[in-house]
Amino acid sequence: MRKRFSALLNSRMGALILKEFRQILRDKRLAMSLIIPPTLQLLLFGFALNPTVSGLHLGVVDDSQSIESRELRAQMTESKSFEASGMYLSVGDLSKDLANGKLDAGLVIPYDYSRDLERGKPVTVQVLLNGMNSNTATIAQGYTEGVIATYNLGLAGEGLHANFQQVAAPDVNHRGLVNLVPAYLFNPGLEPTWFIVSGILGVLLILNGSLIAAAAIVKERETGTLEQLLMSPASTTQIIVAKLLPLFVLLCMMGLMALTVMRLVFGIPFRGNVLLVVAAAALCLLCGISIGTFIATFTKTARQAQLTLFFINPPLTSLSGAFTPVEAMPKWMQPIAQFNPIQHFGQISRGAMIKGSGIATLWPNFLALTAFTLVLVSLSIWRFRKQLS
Amino acid sequence: MRRIFAQARKELTQLLRDRLALGLALILPVVLLLLQSTAISLTVSDLPIVVQDLDKSLASQKLVDAFRNSLSFHVISWPTDKQPDLAFEANKARGALVIPDNFGRRIARGEQADVQMLVDGSDANTARIISGDAEQIIRAFNMATAGASHPEPVTAAIRLWYNPSRSSRKFYGPGIFVMGMSIFPPLLATLAMSKEGEQKTILQVFVSNISAHEFLLGKILAFMIVATGEAIIMLAILFTYFGLQFAGDPTPFLVSTILYMFCVTTFGNMIGSMIPSQVAAMQAVALTGFLLVYMFSGLLFPISNIPASIRWLSNIVWGRYYIEIVRDSLLAGGGWPAMWLKVIIIGGIGALFYLNAWRYLRRMQLKD
Repeated sequence: MRKRFSALLNSRMGALILKEFRQILRDKRLAMSLIIPPTLQLLLFGFALNPTVSGLHLGVVDDSQSIESRELRAQMTESKSFEASGMYLSVGDLSKDLANGKLDAGLVIPYDYSRDLERGKPVTVQVLLNGMNSNTATIAQGYTEGVIATYNLGLAGEGLHANFQQVAAPDVNHRGLVNLVPAYLFNPGLEPTWFIVSGILGVLLILNGSLIAAAAIVKERETGTLEQLLMSPASTTQIIVAKLLPLFVLLCMMGLMALTVMRLVFGIPFRGNVLLVVAAAALCLLCGISIGTFIATFTKTARQAQLTLFFINPPLTSLSGAFTPVEAMPKWMQPIAQFNPIQHFGQISRGAMIKGSGIATLWPNFLALTAFTLVLVSLSIWRFRKQLS
Repeated sequence: MRRIFAQARKELTQLLRDRLALGLALILPVVLLLLQSTAISLTVSDLPIVVQDLDKSLASQKLVDAFRNSLSFHVISWPTDKQPDLAFEANKARGALVIPDNFGRRIARGEQADVQMLVDGSDANTARIISGDAEQIIRAFNMATAGASHPEPVTAAIRLWYNPSRSSRKFYGPGIFVMGMSIFPPLLATLAMSKEGEQKTILQVFVSNISAHEFLLGKILAFMIVATGEAIIMLAILFTYFGLQFAGDPTPFLVSTILYMFCVTTFGNMIGSMIPSQVAAMQAVALTGFLLVYMFSGLLFPISNIPASIRWLSNIVWGRYYIEIVRDSLLAGGGWPAMWLKVIIIGGIGALFYLNAWRYLRRMQLKD
């Protein structure tokens, strides 16, 4: 083993690799900038992006002012979903505060609320929701309906509802009710960061891989040292591999650091084999590096390379399913997302870390990721050689 | 005044020659607007679920049909002898409805019958939506079977305001418009400014008789014109393809848009005058513009969900105020009474940027 290693070091390729490593490590700032900022980004993204719907500000117009209406109000704000934020005298005042964003929801209880309940007449309360944010609206609607349903069930046991049922209809044909018991697998606490953090790692790998690879190659060209390398007896493939391998190793360290952060800070359970995630991350990195190299062969300056990457990375990110689930995309767009390495990385990292899936279920994603990597790597090497010969 | 216009004209001529930058200013924002607002959505529907009916009675069949008929789910076939969570692991299903074997009997007896909904919790938000949808189906089912003998005493009439169809495009579209405005105009501005420092053409400016204010204002004016072009194209798409329109008084939007364009292009110029390297300046702007606006402005998810220890950051993110104004004027229509403070804050942040940029360029004025 050692013999082989020293043989590699003495070879042409080994010398080139060593040179690159020394060059990078001499510039401590560069090495640090490869590892630290992506990890910080992961932390920021994980903490800042959270789709949970809770603490919605609820304003109430209570025209009934009765025991029953107060009970309903209490029930609405009992859970964490709604937070009582003021009483209003008229619907007009309430809607004004709904419009300027002070309230997220409004509850309007009619003046005949308790009278109708006592008489056994069904009553309707109005719930106004700010529907601007479609996700918040969907979940808040579910909450509201849930609260009202529990409230109705609660009435059943007590005097009022017994009263109500008698008046409404004698209980001749009583049938049982279905009760839903939900159970959340893999993530019983419904920790929202797990989904986002495990997906964003893929975005960061592609983003940083492409930016750094493009910068490294363009820099060599801008300073004119690429010609010097070409005059050396090393082949073009040796040059490009030696150029990119140290970057790859450093970025892999960034990936490992990010995984550590995911485990320690965000508490993502590593239920499956971590090696699967590491392998997928390495493939993802190679994709990113190849994209960067490919772009670098078309551009003459670092500025141009970076501007061009703007046309690639943001669209890739928005079709990645890293922030929001692919299932929420329109049906026609979902197949397009399958052509995105980040999407497959997300499937693998979520599957292997959160669900504990193994290679038996994840192999299609691995196959796709490997195929992308092979295509992108050979494309970039082909471009690089074509340009240099 | 004449010098300001001349400076602006010079910038625009330079920009017109740079096709890549021009594409970045005018084409990429449109592509991103269309792509992101279509792709970004949290409201999942038509999710695959597994049904394990261990009862196989008439009542359980009816319940399964209720799930089958809903728009929220579609039932996939799954062998009864295999655990349903295997379907989650294989990404074949997101939920599983398990009906126990005494279900029909309990229903007929008038007892309460439990059914279980197993939900793949790896995506917490989707999991919440799944169990919410399932509960809705069960409630409707209960109402239908219990029939007239069991009217609900209280029903909630839920009204969704401002975006009644719950279109996520209408919510995210304005946010992505703001993101486009927050990244591309300052990016081009910072490139132009740092280029002067990098290629030392700034020395020529120093020896000419143009003042720092004129130089800066000329640059800002040029990129505000670019930003206006970008805004008009994106708004045209928002108004036609997205079906949005001004919900009320459009003047807060117009005033704040002008102020915001000033704010972001000045920000670009400020960074450009501080960092005389195009690549570094570009990265600084892209990072602050993208990361801050993407994460701390409520573009995707509510600001109130950010942990309090870093939430204060959102108070200094200029994009946050603009997003709120744009959403208000396109969806809610609160107008000046709701928005005046935010408009002032955007102007204030812009003025701070201007002062800072001017401070960096003041050197040239020292000579006289």
